[in-house]
Amino acid sequence: MTTRAQTAGRQAAARRREGTWIEAVLAHLVFAAVIVFFLAPFVWLLTAAFDADAQAYIRWPSQLTLDNFVRVFTEHDFGRALANSALVAGLTMLLDVVAVSLAGYSLSRMDLRFKSAITYGVLLLQTMPLSATMVPIYGLARAVGLRNSYLGLILIHAAIELPFLIWLMKGFFDSVPRYLEEAAWLDGRSKLRALVEVVLPVARNGIGVVAGLSFLAAWAEVLMVIILVDRQDMFTVPLAFYQVLRTRGGYTEVQYGMVAAMGVLYLVPVMVIFFATRRMMVRGLLSSARGL
Amino acid sequence: MARVEYDDVTKQFLGQQDRAAVDHLTLDVADGELLVLLGPSGCGKTTALRMLAGLEYPDSGDIRIDRRSVVGLEPKDRDVALVFQSYALYPHMSAKDNIGYPLKIKRMTEAERDRRVTRVAEMLGLGTLLDRRPARLSGGEQQRVALARAIVREPRVFLMDEPLSNLDAKLRTHTRTELKALQRQLATTTIFVTHDQAEAMTLADRIAVLDRGRLLQLGTPDELYNRPVSLFVAQFIGSPPMNILAAQVRDGTLVAEGVWRLPLGRRVDATEVSLGIRPEAIALSEPSADAQAAEVLVSEPLGSETIVNVKLGNALVKVRAAPHVRPDAGATVHLRADPARMTLFDAKTGAALP
Repeated sequence: MTTRAQTAGRQAAARRREGTWIEAVLAHLVFAAVIVFFLAPFVWLLTAAFDADAQAYIRWPSQLTLDNFVRVFTEHDFGRALANSALVAGLTMLLDVVAVSLAGYSLSRMDLRFKSAITYGVLLLQTMPLSATMVPIYGLARAVGLRNSYLGLILIHAAIELPFLIWLMKGFFDSVPRYLEEAAWLDGRSKLRALVEVVLPVARNGIGVVAGLSFLAAWAEVLMVIILVDRQDMFTVPLAFYQVLRTRGGYTEVQYGMVAAMGVLYLVPVMVIFFATRRMMVRGLLSSARGL
Repeated sequence: MARVEYDDVTKQFLGQQDRAAVDHLTLDVADGELLVLLGPSGCGKTTALRMLAGLEYPDSGDIRIDRRSVVGLEPKDRDVALVFQSYALYPHMSAKDNIGYPLKIKRMTEAERDRRVTRVAEMLGLGTLLDRRPARLSGGEQQRVALARAIVREPRVFLMDEPLSNLDAKLRTHTRTELKALQRQLATTTIFVTHDQAEAMTLADRIAVLDRGRLLQLGTPDELYNRPVSLFVAQFIGSPPMNILAAQVRDGTLVAEGVWRLPLGRRVDATEVSLGIRPEAIALSEPSADAQAAEVLVSEPLGSETIVNVKLGNALVKVRAAPHVRPDAGATVHLRADPARMTLFDAKTGAALP
């Protein structure tokens, strides 16, 4: 039998779970505000890019047009900038995947002397503010002829993300059982080929996460491009933006429509990569969290 | 076909300074023999196996296959196959590709590879499962794929690290029998690691009992069962285990647990000893002058036999009796021991007395 006290208790518990309607409304208002705050820039990008007379605020386009997209390619050679960015980010990704696989595997598996010191040393590198290294990197790149060079950009972009990605990948490797590669060794494989044929395929979600993060970081990087590149045919997308901002001599007349069109084109590859790999990313990040 | 020798092998892990994982192990495994390394967890049996596979390196001593040292060789160059406790199947490959992987490494043609994989798969009843990934196989099926991957290579030595311990009891017994038949058929030298004495007894040509990294006894299952060299081996082997009773030697006779007088057909120098006597070496008899009365605690009928637990002094004694013998708790029975099947151990060191 249910006593009245039990019923009252249950109702109170239900109230605690669901809250009052005022709380619900407040919560939804807060969520809505957060969503508006984060979505507003994207809404502006989308509306302004197709607006013949774009303004610095959100509005429905006065006249729908594709003119902005055409002009960024004809007037500013944005195609070249996109190609430069894709090349640099793509090769940075490849270099990072190779380097991170080897380094992460070593830190995960090998009995190194001072292993703990090395592992934390890698993390320490990541905490260094990039801007503090600007001047030495500029000097170094100039001295060895890596300014205005794809190789220079690729090397520096790969290096910037390396410490964090090594840590991430070490976590993925930690979650791959050792007996798998031991089985491959006994089946007749060398250690390197066992890594490539057995460990990496099993850790492929991790490789996917590393590749995605590496590409996106290089795609979005601004600071190093500014100090390493001044030749226009080497401009990556962020520098092309800058070019649009200062087009009219002494006056800074911003052509919002073209900026927005560039922004949309800049975002598309990021979105494509994200949606193509989101399952892998989520699974990978979850397994990494478990492994650490 | 290969002979395996461990020659005074010692291995100590970092951070385990007090004792070695494997302590001066010397062992000679004959060609085609099935040797079981038996011991409790942490006794060094798996480490010994992994050193032979090349997954660990000995600190000192030598390991030889066919009289040639393998210490310093990479695992891939040793031509030994290891079946892991967790099977270690490659999760991204089908059963067929798992089994064929070592052959692919040997650069065998695809036709030859298929032929061999199919033959081994049929031998192990895996025919219809070859296209499945490991995640879609049951534990028993995974175990057979792991076994097939080892067999298909025709290695010099099979190493098995508790390959049956993840199977349920019924499948384990079944696979045990199959494994023994298979090993006889292939006649490949096999080293099998387990902590399960029943598994060791049924499979082994010889058993090496290890404890704390040391080899305690090496012998056939019969030798270990009937002539254990120490209390540890005596208690580790046999189910139910050997009864161990505190006993004194007085004027040529033995007094167990202060009450049971037993004839001692030989001269023993010690006075305080441990008497080891198997449950089947004690018989329940009619009351007589040389039979010891004892109170029944409980009878355990097992169908094929009954284990009668009796109280003797402060000790519990297990007696193996015929299936229809089921004395009630509290009843008095009379025990008679077979003097030829009593083993005496030094009460302090646990070593068997001659």
